[in-house]
Amino acid sequence: MMPDMELALAARAENIAIVRHALGGFGEAFAVPESKLSDIRLAVTEACANVVVHAYPDGEDGPMEVLASLRGNELTVLVRDWGAGIRPRPDSPGLGLGLSLIASLAARVQLGHDDAEHTEVRMTFALDEEIASMNSELL
Amino acid sequence: MSGQAAGERAQATERNVARVRVAAGPLLGPVLARVVSMTLARADWPVDRLDDALLVCDALSAHAPAYAGAGRFAFSVNANEREAELRVLELTAGEAAALVRDTMLPVVGNVIERLAAVVSVEPDERGEGSELVLVLNSR
Repeated sequence: MMPDMELALAARAENIAIVRHALGGFGEAFAVPESKLSDIRLAVTEACANVVVHAYPDGEDGPMEVLASLRGNELTVLVRDWGAGIRPRPDSPGLGLGLSLIASLAARVQLGHDDAEHTEVRMTFALDEEIASMNSELL
Repeated sequence: MSGQAAGERAQATERNVARVRVAAGPLLGPVLARVVSMTLARADWPVDRLDDALLVCDALSAHAPAYAGAGRFAFSVNANEREAELRVLELTAGEAAALVRDTMLPVVGNVIERLAAVVSVEPDERGEGSELVLVLNSR
């Protein structure tokens, strides 16, 4: 099934703001409460930051793709890169909290690859049933 | 990496270009406006010209769903401090021209032609469809 929104950008830190704003549009269109939208934005920001910092060798640009779909009372956001995949990195410049934070904010998280071996982080967020019924006629 | 894959990666990582495909329903307006405004704001556009760009977004949001193949509206936006290029993707040549014609308003005239410095229809990279190309100036 086609996602409701697909973004393709260079994996650069400044582009994460565009992803966050686009998700804001998702929240506006489907009346997602601000508190839930903040959680979604934070989790997706972490996933995108992982792509920016870890997916590609230093100095090399690569793609970052964000796909979002609302089905029933679940909003699923998939962040994909074409890089080296998720693996332990002892020299990581971050605190290593990204995936734990995502897991605490999302109802489900799946790490994996698509058919072309692109790395994917799939986050599913549970919305209220009321929102789901309100939005069921919109898409 | 194959030549085709390398080409796709180069296209996806083109600096400052955001490519978006969004369901042509209530999601279209909020996402288009936010992605365009964020991209132009990042390029230090003055507020009045950013507002003009949002009028173009409103015109496209109002009329583009009639030409959205498979219920999806695809666009790309690329901006520097002098100009922005907004491309409506995945159209036929007839659809691109009709979309411009549809933005005619009584008294005001054609919104897109009044606000964009350049309005053109170009074949897409695969030569299978067309793209509506709008160039906006920041001054």
